Amino acid sequence: MISISKLLCDLDAEGDGLRYDAATESSKSQITNEKQHRPVVVWNLTKQCNLYCSHCYAAADTEQAPGELTTTEGKRLLDDLAEYGVPVVLFSGGEPLVRDDLLELVSYAADLDIRPVLSTNGTLITPEKATELRDAGLAYAGISVDGLPERNDAFRGKEGAFDAAVRGIRACLKAGLKTGLRYTITEHNVDDLEGVVGLLHDEGVDRFCFYHLDYGGRGADIVDADLSPERKRAAVKRLCDLTRSYHDRGAEIETLLVGNYADAAYLVEYARRHLGETTADHVAEYLRRNGGDPAGERIADIDYQGNIHLTQFWQGYSLGNVRDRSFGAIWNDDSNPLLQRLRERSEHLTGRCARCQYQDICRGASRLRALAVNDDLFAPDPQCYLREEEVSPATTALDAD
Amino acid sequence: MVEKPERKLVGEQPHGAVNPEWEVFVRDDETTPLRHVGSVSAPSAEIAHEEATKLFAWYAVDVWLCPSEETRRYSTHSLDANAESMSIDSGEEKRTHEL
Repeated sequence: MISISKLLCDLDAEGDGLRYDAATESSKSQITNEKQHRPVVVWNLTKQCNLYCSHCYAAADTEQAPGELTTTEGKRLLDDLAEYGVPVVLFSGGEPLVRDDLLELVSYAADLDIRPVLSTNGTLITPEKATELRDAGLAYAGISVDGLPERNDAFRGKEGAFDAAVRGIRACLKAGLKTGLRYTITEHNVDDLEGVVGLLHDEGVDRFCFYHLDYGGRGADIVDADLSPERKRAAVKRLCDLTRSYHDRGAEIETLLVGNYADAAYLVEYARRHLGETTADHVAEYLRRNGGDPAGERIADIDYQGNIHLTQFWQGYSLGNVRDRSFGAIWNDDSNPLLQRLRERSEHLTGRCARCQYQDICRGASRLRALAVNDDLFAPDPQCYLREEEVSPATTALDAD
Repeated sequence: MVEKPERKLVGEQPHGAVNPEWEVFVRDDETTPLRHVGSVSAPSAEIAHEEATKLFAWYAVDVWLCPSEETRRYSTHSLDANAESMSIDSGEEKRTHEL
């Protein structure tokens, strides 16, 4: 997760310590004062969802899957995660609000000093539910909207989904719950970025997370809807410009990018062009502390049946199951050769990634996309949009000579 | 003092909702034991082998696949709400460890 607003506009946030080891430099209260040593865990509580989104990485469906972790098992899992030192659990799905024990689990996590946050389509959040979530200790609700009404509803497979999500956002904001947007950028909705930010900012939303499409679950079926690298670059530039424009007007929105660490390199390049060398160096230093793509290290996923995945998007491979073994034992198992090599991926990256000057802040971006497109875990991410002169300026200069 | 671990039979829960799950075991050279390296989700053993090959081809000389739901797990780990206690008569169980 890369914060445009932190890096380009110096906006402090609760995640500064977690993300950039910059707790002492931040004016906001912090999730943790130390750079995270344990992963943020996404827990897909259920496969069931009241919508059917075309990009769903969890391949959620209208039916509940067999074998979902029960409430008792969920609490034992949270005990296990707390003991391991997990700082944040993101309750996700499917749609987590279809589970009637969500409040109980959120409250249990909060009591264990795990920060409970929520990823939801927002359509089931009533004013009463928003209040209950707040009272249970929920720290943040990320609500998915993927375009202006018509495009969002087509993407989400249900007419009226946009309006229902906005009602959910209003309910959360009214309850005093910190609430933000989740937006997956594709060819279908890239034109709506500014419109959705404008509309939701008018509603009172001040946090906006933009996800690149990853190729897991149903996301693997719509690879053609992903932006070309050049269009992706243009979209990220628009988000940088947009963030700066809001801040210039005194609206201190928080904007974040998720799912493509080429963004880290691009933000350094952007800062160099628009804000000068000193700021670019500062941005690069923050991103070095951030540590690049987090798969298998700073992010983990546990699905509804207890399988542990390297990221929430990488559902096709599991390291193990929490019913069989503790999360910490599985996550720390260095005898797993895939986990081991992934964690030392800088030594194995090939092609342009191997010679990229930004390898230390990107670390090859999405290994899942490399695998999905090239059948090669260490090939370059096909959605890297850096230009050759940005990847290896010395070589390019020699070639030019 | 030799104590026996109290293992339970982990409940026979489904391990895959979209496709069946396959436990993957690999051997890095012919003289070493098979090692469990997680599981892949695939509709058939052939596709599971393809998926495992993408992940471990650089490493493994042998890949074994076992349907997750056909694997019985006896564990001291106690998260599973459906785990069954296994009572083994004292002295019969050979596999013990010292605590």
